[in-house]
Amino acid sequence: MSATGLPLPALGYVPPSAMFRRRTAIIAGVVAFITAAGVYLNFKPWMLFTDFHHLVRLADEMVPPNVALLWTKTALYQSVAETVAMAFLGTLVGGTVAFALAFVAAKNTTPHPWLRHVARLGFGLERATPNFVVLLILFIAFGFGPYAAMIALAIGSVGMFGKLFADAIEQIDPGPCEAVASVGANPFQVIRYAVIPQVLPSVVANGFYAFDVNMRAAIALGVYGGGGIGFELQLAMKVLRYPDVLALILLVIVLITGMERVSDLIRRSLLRSDTLK
Amino acid sequence: MLNVEQLTKKLPDGRALLDGISFRVSRGEFVGVLGASGAGKSLTLRCILGLTRADGGTATLQANDGQTFELTTCKGRCQREARRRMGVIFQGFNLVKRLRVIDNVMIGRLAQIHPLRSWLYGFTDAEAAEALEALRRVKMEKYADRTTGSLSGGEMQRVAIARAVFQKPSLYLADEPIASLDPSNSLAIMKLLQPLAKETPVLGVFHQPEMTARFCTRVIAIKHGKIVYDGNPGLSHAQLEDIYGDELMQVLRPAPAALTPEDVSAVSPFSGRIDESTGGLLAKQTT
Amino acid sequence: MSSPTAYLHRRTGALLPRRLRKPLLAFFVLGTLIAVSARLCKVDLSEFFPGLLKGVEVLRFFFPPDWSSLQEMLVPALVTVLLAAVATPLGVVLSFFFGLAGARNLSPPWLRSTARTLIGVERALPEIIVLLLLVAALGVGPFPGVIALAIGSVGMLGKLFADAIEELDAKVLESVGSVGATRSQIIRFAVLPEVMPALLSNSIFRFEVNIRASVLLGAVGAGGIGFELQKAMALLEYERAMMAVLVTLLLVFGAERVSDFLRRRVLDGGKLA
Repeated sequence: MSATGLPLPALGYVPPSAMFRRRTAIIAGVVAFITAAGVYLNFKPWMLFTDFHHLVRLADEMVPPNVALLWTKTALYQSVAETVAMAFLGTLVGGTVAFALAFVAAKNTTPHPWLRHVARLGFGLERATPNFVVLLILFIAFGFGPYAAMIALAIGSVGMFGKLFADAIEQIDPGPCEAVASVGANPFQVIRYAVIPQVLPSVVANGFYAFDVNMRAAIALGVYGGGGIGFELQLAMKVLRYPDVLALILLVIVLITGMERVSDLIRRSLLRSDTLK
Repeated sequence: MLNVEQLTKKLPDGRALLDGISFRVSRGEFVGVLGASGAGKSLTLRCILGLTRADGGTATLQANDGQTFELTTCKGRCQREARRRMGVIFQGFNLVKRLRVIDNVMIGRLAQIHPLRSWLYGFTDAEAAEALEALRRVKMEKYADRTTGSLSGGEMQRVAIARAVFQKPSLYLADEPIASLDPSNSLAIMKLLQPLAKETPVLGVFHQPEMTARFCTRVIAIKHGKIVYDGNPGLSHAQLEDIYGDELMQVLRPAPAALTPEDVSAVSPFSGRIDESTGGLLAKQTT
Repeated sequence: MSSPTAYLHRRTGALLPRRLRKPLLAFFVLGTLIAVSARLCKVDLSEFFPGLLKGVEVLRFFFPPDWSSLQEMLVPALVTVLLAAVATPLGVVLSFFFGLAGARNLSPPWLRSTARTLIGVERALPEIIVLLLLVAALGVGPFPGVIALAIGSVGMLGKLFADAIEELDAKVLESVGSVGATRSQIIRFAVLPEVMPALLSNSIFRFEVNIRASVLLGAVGAGGIGFELQKAMALLEYERAMMAVLVTLLLVFGAERVSDFLRRRVLDGGKLA
């Protein structure tokens, strides 16, 4: 088989003209598909030019950003704290549950193969369900606000990180487990002394990643009504106070970038100080 | 033809890495540059190529088509035109592993086609046929359609030479072309370079005096950034000692380095490729 | 030793064994954070179980799903997929340029930091905000949706592409430059081929992500099944909403499978040489 997958002509190599024809055909196919889809969707790319003035008008209304909001509206700081708290608790609770369930979902620690499939299926289902559906149900159960959003984030974390943690557990070296079991330890002790130490670095790293993801999700859920900065933002949009909107967007950017740095720092110092018991 | 005069390169603290390097390379010559590690041989080559900027001196290339290029001051368009007329072979082969062998050869003429053309349809079938001829010269024509990453070191270096040949340059530059190869492949590469030199001059940096003694028409030796020898390729032991100092033992009788997978496969009963010429156990030459 | 630990040492030295001190501090800090966060989120543990029961109660309304509405859900599902299908290539092309600009080995420092900053800013913005802005300016419809998805891709893909380009072997780029190639030729013949597997794999993954995002954005007005879902929930037609959820699940699962399959093929063999 030739390097390109095309049949080798007598030349011994596929000539550039043939390669060119093949490449062009593929690109033409993709472009045709996209154009067809665009036409079907009524997607008008030229709107970018014809309606550009709308974007300019919006930008005009947003600038200059109402940065004064930061010191006039002190409730903002509570919103920020709310968003961070949502992400933090959601990650913590969800991560813990995910960690526990991961043991059921991992090939090498599951009490029963059926349970493993159920767990994995559960994770997949959760990941596939749109975030806001879970949120809406939780709103009915717990009312609007950060409580429901936090639980929604926790559930979302279980879906996402249950899979990651289970994969990490499946990839450990069985050697230490056998060693610990051979001295007569029960399954929980094996987990405590052989599995957890191996899996902990990956869990911690994923935990920080989860927090990053949940920070963004917390803002998105806030827009749907979950509270925090996201809620403030969509509120500002509803009342058409666009300078406030821009100020809040900048706040969001600062918040997320800041949180990223902070969590990076904490993660690195944790790794260094080696608090992995 | 290449004329290098008073090439200088200094470190920020004032020490000279290259101190007044001057030499000529003319038609028909196969010039080997020798020197201890850090003496400045690769640096000279890099300054000629413009990969590093020299602090002083000139390097003039007189191309076969009559044009002259001042390599140390050339920039942008001029530098590309100059590089087009120089075929370079690197120690690490440095080919694009995911492309086919024949594509890597055709890259040699990139400077000779318009960028727009290279984006739109690339090379023509006629150019591909010429590239195959270049591969024939290095006896790699059967590998034309293979992915370059699947080749061994010696094979890749031959493709690199084919690329340089395809370029139809006025000068070949080789930066330690055989340093990463085992002795039998090194020999094959030198045997390829020697006839090339007869039509187009070759300036090569080497770390193997026995190779330059055997294949080069002239040898230049650099020590501490200065040229200390320029002449006959056969160097006496005393002269080599002077050039290499403590490294001499390493250079003449290389210590067996860690075996690479290629070394192992050469002696493994499963590959069927046992190299008799070196007694069965290959030791890679290290720089 | 950090000062909190030293302080703890002095105060509790006689009471606690050495081994416990650091973990105890961590525990304490964590506990405070949890307590503060719980307060902020208005967590009410007494409400938890009743709320849970209420939630389960509500779930009853979602079953059985309204199978009769399946027909009506198919076209919106297609719309959701097509939105992602149109937006992803646009996003990939855009991200490729950002990736080139954000690569240390190809781009002057000022361009690199600008590109990287823009990528970082985009990553920090949840897609929904981009969509809301676009909708505010241009109204609802497929156009804001596609653009929001495409721009949203830049955050993830731009960074991945820039990183992939930076990790290329500089010697290969130098080598192609040594024949006299222009920068665009180096990109075409050295960067593009080497980076292609990563490009394809990440783009396929982003398509999968964009399908999920398309559902979410649909709820806010971009159309597709997300919109149907949101509409059903707003009208309290929970069985219909459940049908929409089922269709979404099918869609996302399917996308995941296809994406995994394609990516494995790309990373193993290389579909397009």
